[in-house]
Amino acid sequence: MLRFYAGKGGAGKTTCAAAAALALARGGKRTLLVSTDPAHSLGDALGARLSASPRPLGGKLYAAQMDADRALSRWLGVRERSFRALAARGTYLDDEDIDSLFRLSLPGVDELVGLTELRRLSRGFDEVVVDTAPTGHTLRLLAMPATLARLAQVLDDLQAKHRALARSLRGSVRRDAEDALIDELQEEARSLHALLRSANAQFHWVMLPEELALQETLDGVSALRQSGLRVERLIANRLTPKADGPCSLCLARRAEEARVLQQARAIGLPIYGVPEQAREPRGFRDLSAVALALRAPQRSQRIRNSTPRRSTAPVADGDWLEDVAGAEVRLVFFGGKGGVGKTTAAATAAISIARRGDRVLLLSTDPAHSIGDVLDTAVGDQEREIEPRLWAREPDAARAFERRREKYRTAVEELFAALRGGSSFDAPYDRAVMEDLIELAPPGLDELFALLAVIEALQRYPVVVVDTAPTGHALRLLELVGKAREWVQVLLQIQLKYRRVTGLGELARDLTGTARELRELQQLLVDPRRSRFVAVTRAAALPREETARLLSALKRLRIATPALLVNAITPPGCSRCRRAAAAEEEELRRLRRIRRGCAMLGAPWIAPAPRGGEALARFGRTWTRME
Amino acid sequence: MLIVDRMLLGGIKFVLGKIAAAVDAELNDDSRLREELLAAQMRLELGEITEEEFARFEAELLPRLREIRSRQGGDAAPRLESGEYKVVGVEATADFEQE
Repeated sequence: MLRFYAGKGGAGKTTCAAAAALALARGGKRTLLVSTDPAHSLGDALGARLSASPRPLGGKLYAAQMDADRALSRWLGVRERSFRALAARGTYLDDEDIDSLFRLSLPGVDELVGLTELRRLSRGFDEVVVDTAPTGHTLRLLAMPATLARLAQVLDDLQAKHRALARSLRGSVRRDAEDALIDELQEEARSLHALLRSANAQFHWVMLPEELALQETLDGVSALRQSGLRVERLIANRLTPKADGPCSLCLARRAEEARVLQQARAIGLPIYGVPEQAREPRGFRDLSAVALALRAPQRSQRIRNSTPRRSTAPVADGDWLEDVAGAEVRLVFFGGKGGVGKTTAAATAAISIARRGDRVLLLSTDPAHSIGDVLDTAVGDQEREIEPRLWAREPDAARAFERRREKYRTAVEELFAALRGGSSFDAPYDRAVMEDLIELAPPGLDELFALLAVIEALQRYPVVVVDTAPTGHALRLLELVGKAREWVQVLLQIQLKYRRVTGLGELARDLTGTARELRELQQLLVDPRRSRFVAVTRAAALPREETARLLSALKRLRIATPALLVNAITPPGCSRCRRAAAAEEEELRRLRRIRRGCAMLGAPWIAPAPRGGEALARFGRTWTRME
Repeated sequence: MLIVDRMLLGGIKFVLGKIAAAVDAELNDDSRLREELLAAQMRLELGEITEEEFARFEAELLPRLREIRSRQGGDAAPRLESGEYKVVGVEATADFEQE
């Protein structure tokens, strides 16, 4: 049985998946726990060093962290000869061109080989529990069988020409290794599609009992159901336990949670509640407590009639704004582990910048957008003015891809016509290749169009604030700038090489423009005055460990990180809150050691979470510099 | 053999078409110059030429572009009209791969 733990970043997928796997293994099943999130935190949660192949953790439990890059190169390695043969037969590219294309690295490979690799790892286990990447990318992962089928179709078109030529010259066609590869891909696509929809696969949706998580849960569960996947249950994680004294924060949190869960019942799934643990669950003993809570669904909670009192926080001045967005700043990224409050922080900063007097665009590059939820207004692919000088946009990658596809359809058609050299013989085959190739949504699509959206925004706004996808994919996005430039350069080289035959059309002009924009963006990213990355985190172990990895990755990319925002700091109230605050104090000390010279900003826990312009502006006034 | 015939015929027609287009372009088409400029921009993005080299090239090309445009505006451009032409000095090699 394959059990996927899906949900918004930071909801506790890793913890719940680990607890479930532990319970299965203790029940006598040979169980594999595997993470498909490129920013792995499974090892942190288990307190164990993990690798790409399953490691025994004692008893019948094994765990692994998928290494998609390695899986892809292994997968490609044994098939490279056939891919090259297909490319050589079906296109006009010569060995040199094909070489340079094969040397490029592919963005978004986690999704491409993820399911294949997952099945390979699963062999020999009774139960496989999957700790997935945050919603947007998991939905991409699940759509991969369809992409594989389309890839097989393109290759089949390439091969069709070869078959027709062989038939006309030799009178017969022999099946070769390339045909076998196409069959293999088609079969892989078919069987993965079937596996995900069989009785042997199910989804468990993990959510925090918060307003922001609710919308993503409704959307995510219905997306899964629409593609025919079976969602088994909802897990509401980190429910606030009853306060042991009068505590306005705990009361406000419990009232808000009850309201959200009541709405979540509309989904029609059993809800399992996991109370917030006294400390962040790490290692087997802590996970056992979570496993216990996962054994039975929650009974419907009655909502108390008491109106939730807004918990208040001390008001501070806004001197943090200089750290986040100095006078010359053009581009500010907000990033971090899922669920730490990136979107709320990005929106708060954008509002403060707008109210300071600069025109600013708040742009989401997380395929699971939530800017609109935080601003409490509809935001979409079209830029919208939220308040004076503040604009917002949630780009729609699929639609942008559609537009570009239409634009290039004609250009590519002309290119092929020219490359065909006037012979009408190849026409039907080339046309089929070209049409299927244009249909093939490349992996890493979200990152690619997010990047183009950033470039476009910088041309029209003095300041752009980017709300990024959780760590793993945010880093992908930043690394993509260089990778995309390499891709564009190879395409430019090929076009230059064949220009005597094909001429240089609109495609060449666009690609040259894109190459220049990518070069300028690359320069902008490493200029600490104009571009910066604010790492958002919480005072807890898993976010802290991910923050340490994020900061060192950013240093490697030479991107400035002037500020570290620690969100949701518990103000001392009841004894439970005081215990939480003490644990956070310890984590803050550790954060100070890894912060690499960033200014440390703190924001208090506010219940219910701030939504809408005024609440966010108020929230911004509670941020303080902590030294 | 039908296929080979079609490939040959198509190929020859293609070559002749290209030649006619080249002659036309040489005389009064600014798109060729523009394409040269674009090619130079591409080389600049590929790092094959420096900013200075590109600037020199651009400075050389722009007056010629303006000249062609003014000639087109004055409607005095020589045109390639339909009729018979003799094209000399063309060498072509056909290489059809057989399996």
